Amino acid sequence: MSGPSAPVALTLHLALLSILSFGGIPSVLPDIRNYVVVANGWLTDREFANFFAIAQALPGPNMILMMSLIGWRVGGLPTAIASALATFGPPCAIYYFAYRVWDRFRDATWQRIARGGLVPVTIGLIIGGGTVMARAANTNWQSTIVTAAAAALILWTRVNPIWMLITAATVGALGLL
Amino acid sequence: MPVLFIGFLKVAFGSIGGGGGIVFARRLVVEQRRWTDDREFADILSLCQFLPGPNIVGIAVCVGTRLRGPAGALAGLAGFTVIPVTISFSLGMWIVRNTDLAILQGILRGVSAAAAGLLIGTGLRLLMPHRDEAMALFFVVLVFVGLVFTKLPLLAVLLAAAPLSVTVAAISGWGKR
Repeated sequence: MSGPSAPVALTLHLALLSILSFGGIPSVLPDIRNYVVVANGWLTDREFANFFAIAQALPGPNMILMMSLIGWRVGGLPTAIASALATFGPPCAIYYFAYRVWDRFRDATWQRIARGGLVPVTIGLIIGGGTVMARAANTNWQSTIVTAAAAALILWTRVNPIWMLITAATVGALGLL
Repeated sequence: MPVLFIGFLKVAFGSIGGGGGIVFARRLVVEQRRWTDDREFADILSLCQFLPGPNIVGIAVCVGTRLRGPAGALAGLAGFTVIPVTISFSLGMWIVRNTDLAILQGILRGVSAAAAGLLIGTGLRLLMPHRDEAMALFFVVLVFVGLVFTKLPLLAVLLAAAPLSVTVAAISGWGKR
């Protein structure tokens, strides 16, 4: 299944998923994992979790970064660039045109109904996506505590997320996880 | 236009981990530049939130469009992506090449556990305004269970839940505000 078609297959798959990723790229992470880890074996589960962590820890649009790292692993630099473009290109066209329409019908009833109906679905996808990632990343009870603590802090405090990442990185560097 | 480019360049460097970018984008757009007020920014955010794609990039595109049309969208997008992704991608490749280092392994374990928690916490945070709406909670739980506890692909969950949710919203009018 590998060979020259892998970069093309990955790029097309990412372009498709980016269009379907309602609520953000994290909502399709389980599907991307299925495709690159389970179905094609391009990455190991460990690598996938690592790329997610690296993308979260570095500045910039982290999902674009994660997809370019996956692309790099699959087919080097050209695939990395293609993966990045596939991740944000199609959605950007959608953002642009959707914003124009949205702006024109700002007070329409259908807009309020759509918002009311889609928001819960979006939220369910985000929480579910995080849970799926936690399942892949957490191999022991210590890391589960880190996950729970991060969730609690962002939910009930206004602490900058960067401090939670730095603390967790320190705990990990000390070999406690 | 350079202001848009540089503004979103800075936002990108502040956007570490899930949700961090929203904080910095709001600071730039609402507080520093006063391009929009809080209400309009929340509007843009909710639009980007449920459209597909990396939603923080969507903020750059929509704000750019709002100010300068297509050229503004491109300026915001370029500022947000080109330089930050290049730098972080290079750093990421270096980290991936050195994942054998025990200390790096520990750091990544810590960060990925925390990052999963941040995602869950951000989802819960988005849920807070809707915690008294029984139907909204129902659909959040439905999507969560569909994603985490069944082997159904994301698209199946989405195609089942979204039309149902919007229909219920239209009938019950819970999205009214």
